[in-house]
Parts: sequence; structure tokens; C-alpha cells
Amino acid sequence: MAIPPGALDGLRVLDLTDCRGQLCARLMADMGADVIKVEPPAGDLARRIGPFVDGIPHHDRSLFFWFYNLNKRSLTLDLTRPRGAEILRTLARSADVVIESSKPGRIREMGLGWEELRRINPALILLSIASFGQTGPYRDFEADDTVLSALGGMLYVNGFPGRQPVRPLGLQAYHSSAYYGAIATLCALFARDRDGLGQWIDLSMQEATACAVEHVAGSYFGEGRIEPRRGTLHWSRYFRVGKCRDGYIMHCTLGDWTSLVEWVAGDGKAKDLTGPEWQDVGYRAVHAEHLFDVLDEWAKDYNRDDLLDRAQALRLPFATVRKPEALFDDEQLAARGYFVEVEHPELGRSFRYPGAPYLMNGSPWRVYRRPPLIGEHTGQILRGELNLDSGELAEMAAEGII
Amino acid sequence: MAGLPLEGIRVLDFTWVVAGPVATRILADHGAEVIKLERKPGPPGSRQTGLQGDLHRNKLSIAVNMAHTRGIEIARKLAQRSDLVIDNFSARVMRSWGMDYASLSRVKPDIICVSMSGLGHTGPRANYVSYGPTLQALSGYTLLMTESGGEPAGYGYSYADMAGGYTGALAALMALWNRRRTGRGQFVDLSQFEAVVSLIGPSLLDIAVNGRDQSPPGYRSQELPAAPHGVYRCRPLGDDDDRWLAIAVRGQAEWDRFVGAIGSPAWAYDAKFRTLYVRTRNSAELDANVSRWTIERVAEEAMERLQRAGIAAGVVSNGADICERNPQLRARRFWGTVRLPDGSNANVTGVPTKTSAQGGSIRSPSPPIGSANGFVLGELLGYSAAEQDALIAEKAIWP
Repeated sequence: MAIPPGALDGLRVLDLTDCRGQLCARLMADMGADVIKVEPPAGDLARRIGPFVDGIPHHDRSLFFWFYNLNKRSLTLDLTRPRGAEILRTLARSADVVIESSKPGRIREMGLGWEELRRINPALILLSIASFGQTGPYRDFEADDTVLSALGGMLYVNGFPGRQPVRPLGLQAYHSSAYYGAIATLCALFARDRDGLGQWIDLSMQEATACAVEHVAGSYFGEGRIEPRRGTLHWSRYFRVGKCRDGYIMHCTLGDWTSLVEWVAGDGKAKDLTGPEWQDVGYRAVHAEHLFDVLDEWAKDYNRDDLLDRAQALRLPFATVRKPEALFDDEQLAARGYFVEVEHPELGRSFRYPGAPYLMNGSPWRVYRRPPLIGEHTGQILRGELNLDSGELAEMAAEGII
Repeated sequence: MAGLPLEGIRVLDFTWVVAGPVATRILADHGAEVIKLERKPGPPGSRQTGLQGDLHRNKLSIAVNMAHTRGIEIARKLAQRSDLVIDNFSARVMRSWGMDYASLSRVKPDIICVSMSGLGHTGPRANYVSYGPTLQALSGYTLLMTESGGEPAGYGYSYADMAGGYTGALAALMALWNRRRTGRGQFVDLSQFEAVVSLIGPSLLDIAVNGRDQSPPGYRSQELPAAPHGVYRCRPLGDDDDRWLAIAVRGQAEWDRFVGAIGSPAWAYDAKFRTLYVRTRNSAELDANVSRWTIERVAEEAMERLQRAGIAAGVVSNGADICERNPQLRARRFWGTVRLPDGSNANVTGVPTKTSAQGGSIRSPSPPIGSANGFVLGELLGYSAAEQDALIAEKAIWP
């Protein structure tokens, strides 16, 4: 049976983003949208970010670039030059979505602002991903993912009290923004389906980051409490990292309490936890420090995998604290086909990529093409789709526009 | 004037805890009619303020007893009048009610079912019980979010729930869009574990391609190289000595501006800080020098000064900073307000996008459980008042 097309089959997205916005268009490319990554002739800066294949820095060997640009095509185009901007405007005529992450006001200077684009194509959706949005006193502030994590409230609550906050693994301020951007774009497509009109979406990454910290605003507005850093204790007080004989385990006191206490008591380590007051989940939260101290004393004689298996057999939501390397040996991910092989013919090799974040049986996630080499599809797009002739292409190449 | 983007789309929502409600909240913010099917009594604690107020705003709530056959009958009828049914149970639960995709698609062929279970519906660990923090532990976040040599701190909260929620909302929108294009429904089997694993992609490729063991990134830049790059302790604000400034100085031009902005101290001209490469190599000493500048200054003032020089800098903001003090979030009116039934107002987290048309918005507070019983059972499903009373009497629904 043929695989049905992706959900966004037939949509064209022009991806003008740098490393800050590139996941957003990737999420759409994975669902079948034709995403054209428009790069400066020297290549997107993301190509200079490591890690690199075999540790050799090169614009076509950046694993950072690969992850965020799978399934896209690459067109090199200097948008700061009038001829380059003109080509982009031509492409925008038949595009559905333009995504950009430049400084506020920058695309307008290049003749690619919202007023200009919607004049060309009233049905176009423009998503602007900016650190602080298109308005306000911080509009022109500089930021990277760490600065956004700081100003969005994501950084403050990780780590130990009184010590330096601990930063998230991965660029999670960017990632949260990318998801919100894709969601807003899809919503705009539904609106366009009704009235035929596109819209300009102004996404603030600071705000998206603030949205991604579940409890900080809730505690502040709900209880007037400034959420502190709590070390290895989760803010809800139902989870804490504990030490086993061979590593760490995540304890959880939300599962069936009777089963847990019977187990711990059977090992002779329950101390006062057999008391009836501990049956109450709220009491367990209030006295979390003592409770987890008792569990730590008990768990230290176990190997973590044994502890995990037995806990899960009792429906206790424990987990082992693993290295990411362990994901490649994870039976669950393997059984679901999470990792996928992507061929890179120019290197004569294929590599295992992380795959679908969700399995859809009617419009599946898939690999359409490996991440593009720099400018790989420039000729295909300009000659094949815009009908420019070889002379014009040569001229633009000579001028450094493509 | 155009309506909300998802107007006319009805979602039957079985989700609970955090990840699922985040997904359906996003759909509700954008205009979908989200009907939350719940039991009574709900969990203790206020449901209209704080995190719960954030999670359930813009939704409707019905109180239906799924342990009762007539409760299941109501839910199945409602599913037939819905575009999308969403849950975050393991596979067994919806199947036991005859509300899994296979069953529902027989009576409503274009139904979309999204199931946001912890580890997915298939595979040897499909029945594992999980929460956000345990998925973070399994994925590698917890272990690699640590100070060097310290205990793994991980997130102090459930980022996995938020990421799972975003992924769920996006998957739902993709499936809805696909149905608009093709007329066909489908089943989305979303593993929250896979959703959160997907957000450390470059690290996973480094393992797969280079076989390199990952170490905690600390404050090493995870994008373009930068030094200084980190958080630096600032002067106390009143009696609050937990004030920090995040700073990222990328290329040479930025370094020159940074040095100027902090008053061109002599140490900055030392050979060991001359190029980005050596600054990265000598980052411990560099950071100590930068801290000596920040500790003398209030974080907000230091941020303003560096930003005026075009340097990326931001206060490590706590709850009061983001909710009250941040001038940018205030100027953009990011935080939303809902009016509670008692007439008071409550603040909720806003929508991070503004649009030139009508985008997501905050319209109604988190509903009391069962407050839409009359509308859903009466108007949508056609149960008369007497029939509803009978359902209450036999405990198939709660009043």
C-alpha cells in the first residue's frame, strides 16, 4: 500500500530563519510541506555550529544544522541585495508561509516586510520569530537561547538554592518558540481557509519561554510565591532524584502507596512510613524531605534497573536517571522505530536520526530528503520553477547573489 | 470580522494532569470548543487560579461517570458529535470504554483520535507509568543538567509535560488540517517520551554519528561559540541576594563592545583573553573577572548597560520578575486576566503570539467541574431536563 501524503502536502514554506527559528519550519517539512531554506550565499550561520561529522568543521558536516534542516531544500540568496529580495518576492507570490527570525524591522528594510508581502500575496502567512517580539522596550535587545531562558523564567528554577542556576540541556527557549510558531501558523491556515486572507504572526520568544515554565506564574499569581530552586526535588514535591548502587533513580510518591510501603517494609527499611498518615498524598508532599530520605536509604542497595522493573511491575512511576546514550539501546524506542536511517550519499554513509515525535496512521511523519547541502537546490528552484535562464544564474552567481 | 481560527472545531477532552491539558488549552485558546469530560469530585485545591487556572481556561467542563454504562453512552454520543477525541491514558482505558480509534471510526469514519500516553501505545514498555519528571530522567535531561561533579538537578519542573503538550497540540492541528484536505480522520499515537527525546536532537546525532558520550553542557554555548557565556552573580536587590545576569558575548566585535561597556578594565587586555579561542580556553578566569564587575551592579542596570552596547544580556528572572517587573512583558500585555464567578480577577499565562488578524486569546476562566452539563447534554445531545435528572439520580452524571 502506498504511504499517504503528509498532512501539509502541497503547502510551500519559505524559511528565512537562522538557528533561532529553524526547528519551526522543520516541523512543517516533516509533515510534507515543501520548505525552502533561504540561506545567505556563504551559508546559514547554523552550518558553523558543532558538533560536526567526525569532528571536522565544514558547512556540510554540521550535525546541529542537520538536525534542524532535515527535509528542507536549500536556496542560497542574498536578501540584502535588491536582486535577491526581488527573487524572494517572486517566490512569495506562490508561497503559503514565510518564516523569519531576523531583528525586528530588518525584513522591512530589505523590502520584504508584511505590507510589501501581503500586497504581493494577500493569502500569505508571515511568521516573525523574534527574541522579544516586534514591539516594546526590549524590541531591539540582543539574546541567545541562554539569555532568553533567563528572561523567560526558565533558568531561575533549575539547580540548587543559593548556587548558580543550572541551564537546560538543548536550546529549549528556541524549541518552545518553534512549537508555538508552528501551532500559530497552522491556526492561521485554518483562518485563511475561511476568509482567504493571510496574517502576520508576531511571536515573542521570551513569552514562549515563559509559557514553557509550568509552575512559576501559576505559583506567583495563585499563591504569591516566588518559586525557588529546589535542588533534586521537583516543585510539586512528589519527585526527587535518589541514589542507587549503580547510579541514580527518580523516585515518585504518586503511585500506589500501599504497594510501595509493603515493598520497602519487606526490605526492613520503611521506618515510620507504615503510619496511616502517609496514605494521604498531601501529607507526603508536605513531608517530602523526610520521605525521600527514607527512600534513599532503602534504594541505595538496589541496582537501578532492578528497582525500575520491580517498581513498574507495581505500577509505581519510577524511572532510571539515564545518559542520553542509553536511548540508542532503549527497547521501547527500538520497538516503535523511533530512530531512522538517513542516507548521505555524498559521504557514502548513512546515519541514525531521531525520528517522529508522534505517529500518525493517516498522514505519517517521514524522511523526504536528507538535510540540504549549501545551495543544493538553487538551480532547481531558480531555473526549474522561476524559469530564470543559465545566463541570469551565472550573472547572479558572479555578483555573489546566489 | 473573522472569527477565532479554530472556531467550529469540537474537541472531546479526556486528558488530565498537565501535558494533555496543555495541548487542549492551546486548541481552546485558538477557538476550538474543548469539552473536558471529568469526574467529581475533582482533585483538591483551587482550580480557577494558579497552574490549574492556566491549564483549563477557555474550556467547557462536563461531569460524567465513566464507571457507569450510561456515562459511557453519553461520552460515545458526544464523540460522534466531535471532530477530535483526545486522551492521555494508556491504550487499555479508551478501549475498555469502546472509545478507541478502531471503535469510534466505525461509527464516525472521519474522527481524529489523539492519544498522548507516556511511552506510546505499542512496544514492550507501553504500560509504563510515567510523569514529566520521570520522562526527563529516562531521556537524559536530568543527568546532564548538573553542576560539574554535582548531583543531577534536572529540571525543577516538568518541561516534558509542556513539550508533550505542544507536540500534542501540533499533532492535533496536523491531523485536523489533513482531514480538511482529504476528508479523512486518523489515529495519532503520541509518546510523550519520544516528544521530549526529540528536543535534544543535536546531542543524539553526536552520539549516533560520532559515538561521543555527552557531558553536561554547563554554560558552554550550545550554539555559536561565545565567551564570556554564562550567568554571573549581581548585587543583592534589597535583601534578595539571588540575583544573576546571563551574558553571551559572541564574535570579536561583540567582545570589543563588551570590554568598552564594562569600562575597559586592564585584565580585558591580557593576551589570554585576546581572541574568542583563548577566551573559551580560559573561561574560568574570564568568568571570575566578569563576576567581579556584575557583583558590584544591580542585574537590571547591568543588563541595560550591556544591551545599550549591543551585547546579549538578561536578568535571570524569578516569578516576581516575569509576572510583575519585566517592562517588556508588561508593555506587550503578555499576562492575561480572567474574571472569576465571584467577580474577582485572576491572572493567567498569556499567548506568546500576536497576529494581525484574530489569533489566540483568553476569554473565560477555568470552568467549575460539570458547569457545561446543561449545554452539552441538553443542547448538543438533546437530553431533556427530566432525562438529565434521571441520569443524575442513577449517578451516570454529577450535577
